Amino acid sequence: MDFSFYERLTGMIAAGSELILKVEEQMSLWERVKPPVDISSSGHLIEWLFNYTTYVNLFWFALVCIGLFGFSFLYSAKRHKKAFYTHGNEKNHLLITAAIGLGVFLSVDLVITRVSSRDMKDVFWNFPESDPEVVKVQVLAQQWAWNFRYAGKDGEFNTADDIVELNKLVVPVGKKVMLQMTSKDVIHAFYLVNARIKADVIPGRFSKLWFDTNRAGDYEIACAEMCGPHHYLMRAELKVLEADNYQRWLNETQERALATNDTESMDLRWGWKWESR
Amino acid sequence: MITKGPADELNHFKNSVAMTVTLISFGMMFASLFLGYFLVRFNAPAWPPVEIENLPKVLPFLSTLVMALSSWTFVLLEKRGEKKMLWLATFGLGVLFLGLQFLLWNALAESGILVSNGNVPSMVYAFTWVHAGHIVLALMLVLWLGHLIFRNPAQLTDVKLINVGKFWHFLGVIWFLMYLMLFVL
Amino acid sequence: MAFLEQHIHDAPTSFWSKYVVSYDHKVIAKQFLWYALFWGLVGGLMSMLIRWTLAYPGIPVPVIGHMLFPASGGVVPPDTYAMLFTLHGTIMIFFFITPLLIGCFGNYCIPLMIGARDMIFPTLNMLSFWFAMASGVVLFASLCIPLGGAAGGWTSYPTLSTNIGQPGAGQTMWLISLFLFGISSTMGAINYITTVITLRAPGMGYFKMPLTIWGLWLTAILNAIFVPVLGAGLLLLTFDRVFGTTFFLAGAAATSGRGDPILFQHVFWIFGHPEVYILILPAWGIVSDLLSFFARKPAFGYKMTALSLTAITVLSTVVYGHHMYTTQMSPLLTQSFMTLTMLISIPSAIFFANWLGTIWKGSIQFHSPMLFSLGVVFVFGLGGLTGLYLASTSIDLYLHDTYFVVGHFHYTMAASVLLGGFAGVYFWMPKMFGRMMNESLAKWHFWLTMIGINGIFMGMMVVGYGGMHRRLYNPFIYEFLHKLIPINNFISYSAFFAGAAQILFIYNLFKTVFAKNYPAAGKNPWGVGTLEWEIDSPAPHYNFKDIPEVKCGPHEFGNPNLKTGRDYQYQTEELVKV
Repeated sequence: MDFSFYERLTGMIAAGSELILKVEEQMSLWERVKPPVDISSSGHLIEWLFNYTTYVNLFWFALVCIGLFGFSFLYSAKRHKKAFYTHGNEKNHLLITAAIGLGVFLSVDLVITRVSSRDMKDVFWNFPESDPEVVKVQVLAQQWAWNFRYAGKDGEFNTADDIVELNKLVVPVGKKVMLQMTSKDVIHAFYLVNARIKADVIPGRFSKLWFDTNRAGDYEIACAEMCGPHHYLMRAELKVLEADNYQRWLNETQERALATNDTESMDLRWGWKWESR
Repeated sequence: MITKGPADELNHFKNSVAMTVTLISFGMMFASLFLGYFLVRFNAPAWPPVEIENLPKVLPFLSTLVMALSSWTFVLLEKRGEKKMLWLATFGLGVLFLGLQFLLWNALAESGILVSNGNVPSMVYAFTWVHAGHIVLALMLVLWLGHLIFRNPAQLTDVKLINVGKFWHFLGVIWFLMYLMLFVL
Repeated sequence: MAFLEQHIHDAPTSFWSKYVVSYDHKVIAKQFLWYALFWGLVGGLMSMLIRWTLAYPGIPVPVIGHMLFPASGGVVPPDTYAMLFTLHGTIMIFFFITPLLIGCFGNYCIPLMIGARDMIFPTLNMLSFWFAMASGVVLFASLCIPLGGAAGGWTSYPTLSTNIGQPGAGQTMWLISLFLFGISSTMGAINYITTVITLRAPGMGYFKMPLTIWGLWLTAILNAIFVPVLGAGLLLLTFDRVFGTTFFLAGAAATSGRGDPILFQHVFWIFGHPEVYILILPAWGIVSDLLSFFARKPAFGYKMTALSLTAITVLSTVVYGHHMYTTQMSPLLTQSFMTLTMLISIPSAIFFANWLGTIWKGSIQFHSPMLFSLGVVFVFGLGGLTGLYLASTSIDLYLHDTYFVVGHFHYTMAASVLLGGFAGVYFWMPKMFGRMMNESLAKWHFWLTMIGINGIFMGMMVVGYGGMHRRLYNPFIYEFLHKLIPINNFISYSAFFAGAAQILFIYNLFKTVFAKNYPAAGKNPWGVGTLEWEIDSPAPHYNFKDIPEVKCGPHEFGNPNLKTGRDYQYQTEELVKV
């Protein structure tokens, strides 16, 4: 372990008590449970489907509850001395059960199957590979950090002018971002809660993900797949900058990269040529 | 279904049900291994991959022959009255098969194919290991049959012979599939 | 009618032969019961430690903290936290629920309810328990070695579970332990399947079996088919760890040769999804029976229920891919898995409707087993419906690996199975030990547990929707999760509450089983007509003096033409015509 975690632990005790104090601020329950702000153009699709499923589920669950509590109340032994003798295998009984089964299937399953297939095909699997405007970033996950690699001014990955940022992904607002990801050691998962997306990052193969942003600001990237005891520390920042700020940042880091990149170092060479399939 | 008939038939019935379920279980385990094989094979750029280009050819062929012979002697053991010689032949062939497997592993190591050379050599080793483990188990059952044949013929019922036989033939078939997948195709 | 006569062992006399190496299915069932309760206690305590860590990050665990974690001053360290949730999952699934529902109720109920004297292979049955015992010992030993037990999650995905992520021997012992457990499960399954096929009493057709037996039988079939698949995965992973094969190694870990970590996920979930149904099917069966028994009304649509359970069993084998949406399988595979998964809701809705149909116009007696069964209907309703979100590929992009998943599978696999298990314990206690458990304690236990677990799992779904992901030692490293702190604390308080409520159960159980001068329960305290209630309580040696002949179904209640003064018929009585 390259950092003492008892040091971290004592730090965390302090952080923990600080957090408990912080909670005091007032917030309605609904505000609390709402997912964090959606900064992508696609996140609302997921929210729409989630809400739809919730409404229909509430309907069906209300039926279950009416049956469960209503029958329990109406037909308790006290109120209803003699049970009605039926095996429930008459034609109309079968029809009702079959109708309920079919009703659930048609109202929920069919709709969400259709909608999520459409959303996946049109949006989430529709990678902007050929879009020249897209910002391409290579992501290498490792225990417990994220490395983000930009192609640098020559537009080629895995060359000496690459920009490599540790735990910090900077993107321009409004542009599509395309990530190509792999892992050095164990399976991680790239999780961007503000765009409602995630994908496993797997050693030995590339996974890909795209998102776009519609407002500037600082957000968080998390690892969502258990990757060892310090899984919870595998956090990166997402900085969404206005176009000119982004350009300024890119120029600055490019210069710094050219100045400090050690061309002899193997560390610089973990990148790969962009896989376009 | 209610089973009818004399006690023997019922006894036979219960044991064949159990043996069938057991073989399905073992079969599923080998099937999972084979699933892994097919995933690897269809994702491989070329077959056979460089790691296993010079697999030994003769030894596995001999093993297959031995396995087939022992299955044959077992079939005879199930049918014929004269059990002792046939049992000895089956058991001897089973042990010979294990010996051949050991030689195979040695030959693999000598030709530079090690366990850690990637997942194709891993597969060659692991499959043969798992299979050999089952052969050991089956040989113990055959030993138990031998005990019955030589010491306690009164206890030797058809159903015992047939069930051990099913397991033995099952392992033969599994070996044949492994032989085809790893060494031939 | 000819019937398979079983070999009858003499009644055992010594302590050793009676309680330790017993061939008697009833004793083995009780062995499994204690085994399950022991591990349930261990797994439950682990969950308390997990919830403590999440509610009070960095604050020492009271009472036991300094004893368990002296190096960190009583605080649960991150690596131990990983071990805790790994083993909490493993223990609860394999060492608590499986022995309780399949080991205990399977062993106890199958022979009694189908009218047999014992399991068909008593020796195999005994071996099955002792293999389970061996596996328990190995797992327990793995907790006590340097570097501790396995800490790669209960799914033990490589490459985290190979030597690069888990250098200690704990993971290897975990693998061996589960392999042994798999052998035990398979042995049990072979026994159950064969017993149900060959030993049903004369007249007991498949559609005259109680639904409990249907559930247990389907479970056994799934077990026999899919546990070996897990076995194969575990073997290969063990080879990777011990002999240096490279099946699942990739990335920097693969110094020579290269494998594929996703292969393990396929093998694991081919087993893992049926496993979910392996756990829940017995509970469904028990609940389907108990609802009818205590509504004093025949099970509504018995055949439909049995067939729906079968349909779910079949479907469960082809939907495993929905656990792997985020690994980016090919779109075609992903979509077919989604569609197949959705199909499960049809049979589920049908037997749900049948459950409600059973209590419709019944005459419901709210004894404790009934309360727990109604509880299962409630929590499984929630668990089942929330599954729909996760089956959808696009919502899963967001919810995968969040607490929403944790809440969902705890509702289905923990809450429903646990409540179903409790229902079974309360219900069969008079037959197992000849004594009734205290009803009012049982009812308190039900209501407190119900409040507790709904608080926990509802809370988990809420924080999951808020975006909180799983298996975090301290989630509040992330700023977007800060606002969830109060809800997280609420989950923890609910967990402590639900945990404390189990003391009632433990007290009640121990008092019932071990107290002196406890009143004996009669032959048939619940007034139920299945075969086991026609013999003495506790069930005598070799159950039935004469093999019963079955003439009617298991749920004959409230027949208006009954002249016996009872409102139910024993299965050995000719069905009274309406």
